[in-house]
Amino acid sequence: MVKAKRKPLEEIAEAISTYGKVLTVGCGGCVSVCLAGGQREVYELNAELELTFKESGTSKQLGNYTVERQCNMDLIQEMDDIAEGYDCILSMACGAGVQLMAERYPDKPVFPAVNTVCIGVDRNLGMYEEKCRACGECVLAYTGGICPVTRCAKGLFNGPCGGTNNGMCEVSQDVPCAWVEIYERLKGQNRLDDILKLQSVMQWQNQLQRTVVQPKYEKRYYK
Amino acid sequence: MFKKNTAGVDTDLIKKRLDSRKAKMKLSLAACAHCTLCAESCFLFNARDNDPTYMPSYKFINSIGVLYKKKGMVDRAALQDIRDVVWDRCVLCTRCYCPFGIDIPEMIAFARTICREQGVFPDFEKEQKHAG
Amino acid sequence: MYDFIRGPMVWISIAIFFGGILWQVFRFLTLSQAIEEPKLKRPAGLVAEVPPAGVGGFLHALKLSIFKTSPGMIIVTSVFHLCLVMVPLFLLGHNILIERAIGFSLFSFSERTSDVLTVIFLFCGLFFLYRRLFLPRVRIITSGYDFLMLLLATAPFITGLLAYHQLFDYKTLMVLHILAGEAMLICAPFTKFVHMVYFFAVRFSVKGEWALGSGNRNW
Repeated sequence: MVKAKRKPLEEIAEAISTYGKVLTVGCGGCVSVCLAGGQREVYELNAELELTFKESGTSKQLGNYTVERQCNMDLIQEMDDIAEGYDCILSMACGAGVQLMAERYPDKPVFPAVNTVCIGVDRNLGMYEEKCRACGECVLAYTGGICPVTRCAKGLFNGPCGGTNNGMCEVSQDVPCAWVEIYERLKGQNRLDDILKLQSVMQWQNQLQRTVVQPKYEKRYYK
Repeated sequence: MFKKNTAGVDTDLIKKRLDSRKAKMKLSLAACAHCTLCAESCFLFNARDNDPTYMPSYKFINSIGVLYKKKGMVDRAALQDIRDVVWDRCVLCTRCYCPFGIDIPEMIAFARTICREQGVFPDFEKEQKHAG
Repeated sequence: MYDFIRGPMVWISIAIFFGGILWQVFRFLTLSQAIEEPKLKRPAGLVAEVPPAGVGGFLHALKLSIFKTSPGMIIVTSVFHLCLVMVPLFLLGHNILIERAIGFSLFSFSERTSDVLTVIFLFCGLFFLYRRLFLPRVRIITSGYDFLMLLLATAPFITGLLAYHQLFDYKTLMVLHILAGEAMLICAPFTKFVHMVYFFAVRFSVKGEWALGSGNRNW
């Protein structure tokens, strides 16, 4: 799921400083699971903001609401009436949710309260690891299930660079070299030949906004 | 006396599933003191005007609890009811609180697994809320 | 019959009680396992955030806890459980009998104190009964079993109170009191009262958002 981390309190407080009535909206999806922006985080953020503004002597009205997902318009619409009564919205959802909220309420400023970090896995309570950068051209079939885009500092596709050092990355001795791990993994499965399959250069960075349409629906949306 | 109505359901498969996590399931159902302190920890309970059918304890008692009590001998209609509880009333955001530490999300996910195995699951395509 | 109930049966119920608790603890330990926690290095440039003043405090935590959402229930249940444990342990009547049996007893409250605490306890019980009957969210998951358990928990106190004040037939009430106490002890580890074990076992040692203390067990 998408993993996010709450922004520093000062940054959030600064963003909403000029608005008297702020609605903090949580999301019951990915940010709830990774403990960044769920209902409880909404309460905690509001409590901390209250303390911060009390110290500085500003008075603010902080509301709260949590929707199932902020990435689907139908699930946001239940809060239309509530949003009316506020000057701005502080969204604790991932970047996608913030943007959809901003689209639904174009006359109200919508501020993000979390930094969306990655698509990742749960390693331990409160600890998450980045695994995927949504490049759109998954090559995991040829790398034994280890992503070279995410795990290799240089994003190389055909093997380790010359800087690999005792299985660790040139960048830091604490970071394992992804390609060494890929090699070991494929060796264990007797699929080392896959490394030789040259991959064409990936064009995922700096792309225009991508749209995903499932094959069954292509006829519907692609005229 | 009356043959239990189990139309359209592979009850042996359900029983096998239930057995695979019997101890934990029994424990969770037994330790639940029906105290309802889990209610406010579910944002759906709060957002749906404190509707008690959104309470985490209600959800897991009326899904896994039903399967356990009936020992898996349920019919398809009952599974559809369970499906409505664990999919329509829960998003598995995993943040529910239980004073005794019962792992409610695990029970809901378990119920979902059993339903899926029987071919009962939400038809996201038909039921998908189409964004406006 | 009476001699059996007030004699060996008491020790038997206590034995079953502790045996049952031990079994439940054992069950918990076998069903869960300790997990190794990963040790991470703090990345350079990651500064720990300094929360505003008052955030770490007890009152602040209380504001964000279930005390804020259900203060009545939390207060009542805390008082209820405190009395539930303290009153029988520090009751003069019990301690006299225990001293006669094993030559040693704990300190006792004054009889007036125990009396007052019992009444407070029973009012808490009434609060629970009220909840079960009149709050829709509790009613929806309530069954006969819940009423039975509430009766089981309050019966020793009701009978004890009535007996102490010598209302109704003393001897009958004493028998009922002893039976009620023994029933509660025997049933406790095998019914939902097992929460007395699991509250501590799970909240303190199982990993989770709400864990008290840093346990590292997982189911």
